[in-house]
Amino acid sequence: MNKLGIPGQIVPLAIIGVVVIAAFIAARMLFVPDTFGEYGHYRASAVEEIASQEIVYAGHEACNDCHDDIFETKQESKHRDVSCEACHGPAADHIEAPDEFTPTAPRGRGYCPLCHGYNPSRPSGFPQILPKTHNPGKACMTCHDPHSPVLPHAPEDCSACHRDIANVKQVSHHATLSCRTCHDVPDEHLIQPKFVRAEKPANRERCGQCHDRDSDSPREIPRINIETHGERNLCWECHYPHYPEVGK
Amino acid sequence: MENLVTTMAGNFGGITGYIYPNEYELHWQLLIVIYPYLTGLVAGAFILASLERLFRVNELQPVYRLSLLTALSFMIVAPLPLLAHLGHPERSFEMFLTPHVQSAMAMFGFVYGWYLMVVLLLEIWLDYRRDIVLFGREKKGISKYFYKFLSLGFSDISDKSLLFDDKLGRFITIIGIPSAFLLHGYVGFIFGSVKANPWWGSVLMPIVFLFSAIVSGIALMILVYMVSSLFRWKQMKMACLNKLAEFLIYAMIVDFSLELLDFIHRLYQSEESISILSDMISSRLFVSLIVTQILLGTILPLVSLISARFGKFPDELKRMLYFIAAILVQVGIFSTRWNVVIGGQLFSKSLRGLTFYKIELFGLEGLLITIALLILPLVILYVLVKVLPPWSDVVADQTQSQTQPN
Ligand code: HEC
Ligand code: HEC
Ligand code: HEC
Ligand code: HEC
Ligand code: HEC
Ligand code: HEC
Ligand code: HEC
Ligand code: HEC
Repeated sequence: MNKLGIPGQIVPLAIIGVVVIAAFIAARMLFVPDTFGEYGHYRASAVEEIASQEIVYAGHEACNDCHDDIFETKQESKHRDVSCEACHGPAADHIEAPDEFTPTAPRGRGYCPLCHGYNPSRPSGFPQILPKTHNPGKACMTCHDPHSPVLPHAPEDCSACHRDIANVKQVSHHATLSCRTCHDVPDEHLIQPKFVRAEKPANRERCGQCHDRDSDSPREIPRINIETHGERNLCWECHYPHYPEVGK
Repeated sequence: MENLVTTMAGNFGGITGYIYPNEYELHWQLLIVIYPYLTGLVAGAFILASLERLFRVNELQPVYRLSLLTALSFMIVAPLPLLAHLGHPERSFEMFLTPHVQSAMAMFGFVYGWYLMVVLLLEIWLDYRRDIVLFGREKKGISKYFYKFLSLGFSDISDKSLLFDDKLGRFITIIGIPSAFLLHGYVGFIFGSVKANPWWGSVLMPIVFLFSAIVSGIALMILVYMVSSLFRWKQMKMACLNKLAEFLIYAMIVDFSLELLDFIHRLYQSEESISILSDMISSRLFVSLIVTQILLGTILPLVSLISARFGKFPDELKRMLYFIAAILVQVGIFSTRWNVVIGGQLFSKSLRGLTFYKIELFGLEGLLITIALLILPLVILYVLVKVLPPWSDVVADQTQSQTQPN
């Protein structure tokens, strides 16, 4: 006990406590940016900082002034939504002084697969290739004009654009079925998929032609009674058609 | 076409059914497995020490201080896997500066800081104050000043002062128990509050975590006590081991019942996730859940503990059985953590497919780093034991030579 009547061990502990709290307050004053928390849990001045960065992209329209031929071609093509600078890199310098700064062009095989390499997270129908097996050794430009990527001929297989579905189906009970067993696909769909749609099964009979107990399909196919099984629901409300499973 | 098939087979090797694109790779890997494992050991060891202190379980006296030091050394290592996993450890202090009270993960720093500074360090300091002061008087050279520094310049070890140490220490133990519950319950909360994940999202999670923490902590203390006694050529106190084994049995029974309850509850509720979860248990998690966690990690040690504790065996055999059981329990609790963390990411949120996980050897999330992080606390414990000997015999010798003249 000291003179104040406080047990002695409290004193050093209290000093440490005060030091820690003071260090905390000091650190907050020192390190927490002034504008922190103004709008939310972040530094408000970061917004202005980012806004004040130098602009390096010129924008799509700017190229039209001098490269109108390429611009027009591209506007008509499948790449109409891909901006020039997505491939050529930032070109703000170039439009100021075209002769001094020329943008690069991605001529190697590595670039296009950034968008077109197969990745299951891309939307179904997006044209994708496996770079290793798609005409290896040749630059993409030998067969596809980057400003107007028309296909040399229509894809032979649905997996060119629906590889995600093809992959799943390939390891399912429906592996042996061709896509066209269930989908009526006009040939134009392979060239203009957004304008000419493929058809999707609309009724239960489409599945019943193989699975109904009265159908004359091969014997090994599992059967159900189409009148009663699943009642009035469509079959694919319970069975994913590209990977049919049977609940346990 | 043939090319295509081979490439595809290569890509789809370990995946069955349908999974979303962002589920191919696990984001929480080995390091996140050992994080709850380590904090569990901390909480468990501390709770054991508190039992002794609060309820005066005298048989446990030999492991009281040892448990505190063990808790401390594992506590120091506990955040390292997180820092390694997140990268940029130099930024970690920012979560203290700008606390985000709505995020459980962001509050970890405070839970950790409170437990380390206010509970563990303080309790150890109060408990060792007398020894530290004595060492400061007795030792020579640098270590003298080291102990003087540790005593924080306060050297009164009169009975009155020691009595206050004891009172304050008891008070801190009382705060300490809910804090230890908070620490590990918090880790369970992080998982339990993920409502989108049927394997994790459960209110029982924090409680199950807590009891498994107690189990792992007691088993760890059995191991530490036995190994340290062996190295010091001292006779182990059978009463202490028996008591530890007894507590371990009780904790394991509660833990196992809670886990069973969770399991039965899931089966009975039978939500739409049940079929994919049972697929996962019977394929991906079969070895780590059924074999290591339940059979090797719970049932086998429970049987051997019960028979050793209550059977009529010679002490050597009992010790042997305790030792093996404690090791099995560690393996079991480690697989519990594995099953929670890895299991929660193996099935698709579409509930239609399973992915797979392969441990990497090198790299920040790899096996080598993990092993290093599991050995590190033992090294720290070795140093701590050298600096602050927890053995009552060592201290006793000293008191005789030192305090008698006074
Ligand atoms: C002011 C007129 C002007 C504008 C605007 C302009 N360019 Fe050019 N660009 C040129 C001229 C001139 C050349 C030829 C320079 C040379 O060959 O040295 C050129 C060449 C190029 C080249 C060819 C480089 C090569 O390796 O052959 C690319 C690519 C290019 N421009 C992209 C763009 C893009 C993308 C934009 C829009 C952001 C753009 N340009 C806007 C005038 C312009
Ligand atoms: C999909 C990527 C892509 C887009 C989008 C793209 N380019 Fe190109 N561009 C290329 C590639 C690749 C080359 C190189 C072609 C070659 O060497 O055969 C090239 C070449 C050029 C050239 C050099 C002259 C030529 O025709 O070989 C100019 C100029 C050019 N692009 C301008 C543009 C402009 C302007 C736009 C926007 C309207 C644009 N590019 C959009 C990929 C693209
Ligand atoms: C920024 C992403 C992007 C890059 C880079 C890109 N493309 Fe494309 N590509 C697209 C888009 C978007 C489409 C249109 C897809 C659609 O119609 O749904 C497309 C379509 C195509 C098509 C299909 C045309 C058809 O008739 O189906 C081909 C071929 C193609 N691109 C080739 C290339 C080549 C070669 C390159 C490299 C020079 C390239 N793309 C770079 C986005 C990109
Ligand atoms: C030897 C010529 C050739 C080369 C080189 C080539 N392609 Fe193709 N590409 C084709 C043909 C032919 C088709 C259409 C028929 C088919 O699917 O095989 C096609 C189709 C495509 C499609 C549409 C999806 C599909 O599979 O039908 C994309 C996207 C594509 N190519 C991108 C590329 C990219 C990117 C490169 C460079 C890495 C490249 N191609 C190189 C000839 C070529
Ligand atoms: C050149 C790329 C391409 C090829 C090849 C292709 N598709 Fe498509 N398909 C698409 C795109 C893009 C869409 C999405 C259209 C939309 O949503 O606007 C689509 C949509 C569909 C749809 C859904 C239609 C709807 O109404 O939702 C079906 C079914 C389909 N495709 C079947 C097929 C089948 C079967 C084949 C092979 C015989 C095939 N497709 C080949 C690009 C392609
Ligand atoms: C067993 C019959 C069957 C086969 C075989 C089949 N489909 Fe389908 N597919 C369906 C049905 C039924 C739907 C409608 C599902 C719905 O509306 O939910 C559908 C929907 C689709 C869609 C649009 C919806 C989506 O999932 O993206 C596409 C695209 C498609 N199929 C492509 C294909 C392709 C490509 C193949 C071949 C690899 C194929 N299908 C094979 C029955 C089939
Ligand atoms: C051309 C015939 C054919 C059509 C049309 C067809 N299937 Fe199948 N189905 C099969 C075959 C073949 C199997 C595999 C039998 C086997 O595994 O031996 C199968 C298997 C199944 C299974 C059982 C999977 C399992 O786990 O055993 C289900 C469910 C199924 N199909 C649902 C459907 C649905 C839904 C449709 C309509 C969208 C459909 N099928 C259309 C031929 C067909
Ligand atoms: C309401 C959901 C539901 C609907 C709709 C539904 N099914 Fe099923 N189906 C199931 C369930 C559940 C099972 C497994 C239990 C069983 O065997 O009855 C199953 C089983 C099957 C099997 C396997 C039978 C066997 O003996 O292995 C086939 C084939 C099948 N369904 C085809 C279809 C077809 C074709 C349709 C459309 C006419 C359809 N299902 C509609 C739920 C449904």
